[in-house]
Amino acid sequence: MTALLELDEVRVAGPYGDRLNAVTFRLQNGERIALLGRSGAGKSSLIGVLNGSLTPAAGHARFQGMAIASLSRRQRARIGTLWQDLRLIEELSIGQNVNAGALGRRRLPWALANLLFRVDAEASRSCLREAGLEESLLADTGLDRSVGQLSGGQRQRVALARLFRQQPDLMLADEPLASLDPAIAAEVLERLLTSEADGKLRGGAQAVVVSLHRPELIDRFDRVLGLRAGRLVIDAPASAVSVDDLRDLYAP
Amino acid sequence: MIVPVRPTAPALVLLPALALLPVLIVVLNGAHGGGAEILGSFVVGAVSPSMDPALLKALLIGLQVTVATALTGWSCSLVLGVLLGCLSSERLWLTWSLPAWPAIVLRRLMALPRSIHELIWGLLLLQVLGLHPWVAVMAILLPYSCLIARVWRDQLQSLDPSRLQAILQTGSSPMAACMTALSPAMGSVLVSYGGYRLECALRSATLLGVFGLGGLGMDLELSLKSLQFHELWSGLWLLTLVTIALEQGLRCWRSWGEQAQFGQRQAMGFAVAVGLSGGLGGLWLAHLFPEAGSLNWLPVQWPDLHSLQLAAQELPWLSMLWETLILTVLAAGIAIGLPPLLLLLNPARPWQHCISGFWILVRVIPPPLAVLLLLLSNQPTLAIGALALGLHNSGVMGRLLQEGLEQQDHSAQVALTSSGASPQVGWLYGSLSPRSPSHLAYGAYRSDVILRETVVVGLIGGSGLGWQLLESLSSFHWAAVLLLITTYAALTLIGEWLSDRSRQHWLQS
Ligand SMILES: Nc1ncnc2c1ncn2[C@@H]1O[C@H](COP(=O)(O)OP(=O)(O)OP(=O)(O)O)[C@@H](O)[C@H]1O
Ligand SMILES: [Mg+2]
Repeated sequence: MTALLELDEVRVAGPYGDRLNAVTFRLQNGERIALLGRSGAGKSSLIGVLNGSLTPAAGHARFQGMAIASLSRRQRARIGTLWQDLRLIEELSIGQNVNAGALGRRRLPWALANLLFRVDAEASRSCLREAGLEESLLADTGLDRSVGQLSGGQRQRVALARLFRQQPDLMLADEPLASLDPAIAAEVLERLLTSEADGKLRGGAQAVVVSLHRPELIDRFDRVLGLRAGRLVIDAPASAVSVDDLRDLYAP
Repeated sequence: MIVPVRPTAPALVLLPALALLPVLIVVLNGAHGGGAEILGSFVVGAVSPSMDPALLKALLIGLQVTVATALTGWSCSLVLGVLLGCLSSERLWLTWSLPAWPAIVLRRLMALPRSIHELIWGLLLLQVLGLHPWVAVMAILLPYSCLIARVWRDQLQSLDPSRLQAILQTGSSPMAACMTALSPAMGSVLVSYGGYRLECALRSATLLGVFGLGGLGMDLELSLKSLQFHELWSGLWLLTLVTIALEQGLRCWRSWGEQAQFGQRQAMGFAVAVGLSGGLGGLWLAHLFPEAGSLNWLPVQWPDLHSLQLAAQELPWLSMLWETLILTVLAAGIAIGLPPLLLLLNPARPWQHCISGFWILVRVIPPPLAVLLLLLSNQPTLAIGALALGLHNSGVMGRLLQEGLEQQDHSAQVALTSSGASPQVGWLYGSLSPRSPSHLAYGAYRSDVILRETVVVGLIGGSGLGWQLLESLSSFHWAAVLLLITTYAALTLIGEWLSDRSRQHWLQS
């Protein structure tokens, strides 16, 4: 069976040296992966390679057997990202931002309609509910509010709802817990990792990669990837990662 | 289920393009038989401009007149405008511990010259002073200096006063305090707004030529009227080259000033350039017109009250105002909506370059020339005026939009395309959305400019105030002229007020 994701000796060049170097790993359906590493280790760069926004200078990155760089639109829509900087569209309303997750499956007329009317309100509402946005914002008037007026935590949930609305096979989340208080962070992680009765994750995803700065949470995952200065230094089941490994990973 | 909501930013930018629908329907319906042929030879002329040396020599002289007029008018209006701007700022009067009412009076007085388009000033001065190279210069000088004064004063008033007060508290003289506290911010206003005004002055000088005030515009109009499209394009390409050189030069100057250590030097250099070009332009004009002589007032019969009353009864007020309004709305819709619509058609690089070339061309061709061209193949309708005016202004708005888009952060667009959105939709949501508020704010300002500018397409019968005004001017019906100018002024002042309010709305949201 082909792996969901396959990286082979991937290198990403940067202006001050390599951002990633010789990164090789495979990801199977059903896996939940924690991506660890110090600031600047290359977590966001790896996520960029996985969603196709960064093209490797060398090596191969494949999704379901196809090179990520040459995926068709429809195939790219199978990979969803919760960006570190969220990348919401400030000028648009909550509902429109959530619907932006569905743009990979839709054409221009639908995209235009979404700017003019309240389209598919039920679908965006249920994604927002999945993402845990408070009920007061789920009414029609709430959906029409501009995301510019939301708090940091609320914005995070809108971005999460957009990810669910995309219904990807592979979910990538870049530091989704940063800037959240511990209780909410635990809850957001729960929403990303819980699988439904059929073994699939929320929104029907098959696998999830979460980058984070909280080593104490790794037992919630199946597997841990550790990056250090652009190289993959840990690739092991979560239960096999020792405190020493983590200390080495974070050592200056 | 689909429920309508308030349309959001990127849609609001595209919706005005709907103005194209009625305009194009009318224009295409009004096209007559030989039209396609004439337009065809116009297009052919673009790729085979005439290279006749005698023609090129004449065009170069015309170009010199236009450029010298623009330079002189621009530099004088900048000097005068900055001076008037300072004088009409209450804050400066208060800094010198003087009462502020002269500033307020001055500001009210400047509203009139500002609200009247340079073409009207040109035609009026032509009647009063006769044909003279300085008539065009003064036509530019009068409205421009008051427009610049207004912007300058608004900028002065919007600066944070605490710095000025802090320096005054040290016992410094008011002059030294103003120089220290205000000059850094005002220097960059001078360079960016002053530079923009030079581009406008070049367009105005060309336009005045089309109406007989000398320069390249006159040559262009003659070639067009005699259907010499090859000659027309020689002139248009010359003008395009000058326009590109000017715009690129100003752009370089601005980006040079953005490096902090050059900021002050850049503004100083600019001020010196303004002074120099005023002197040089004046000398250049004197050299081009050695026999011009001095300016003399021609006798004018001022209308009395009775003739004013008669004229007021004769003029078709309702239809005039209605036509002017419709013309403004349609042209503004095209100017605001067409640029994003064209970019949306294809966000790929090569197409974007084609479009910026198109915008240079529509900026360069004066609207009355476009009207004349369209009239060769079409019935005279308001739609032609709206199309000509809208296209010309979309050239200005399109360039600004594209420059803004280039400087913008593209991370949202990257996010959308990586999730499978098409390049078009990714551009619409990720790049156009963040740019929309400033595009709309500039569109509000541009609509005000368009209202003032409706006079330049007044060659078309039944195109509102502009047509009536040009008719009355050519038949020396001074009473009607006076009434129409007053109406124009009142209308543009209302327009200015409305556009200011909507601009503020878009900049705040
Ligand atoms: N847009 C970019 N262009 C060039 N280099 C970049 C860019 N973004 C990041 N880098 C560099 O790539 C390296 C890896 O950065 P990356 O953002 O992947 O780290 P990270 O592990 O996500 O860090 P953090 O935890 O702070 O988000 C860093 O050295 C950084 O300076
Ligand atoms: Mg990162």
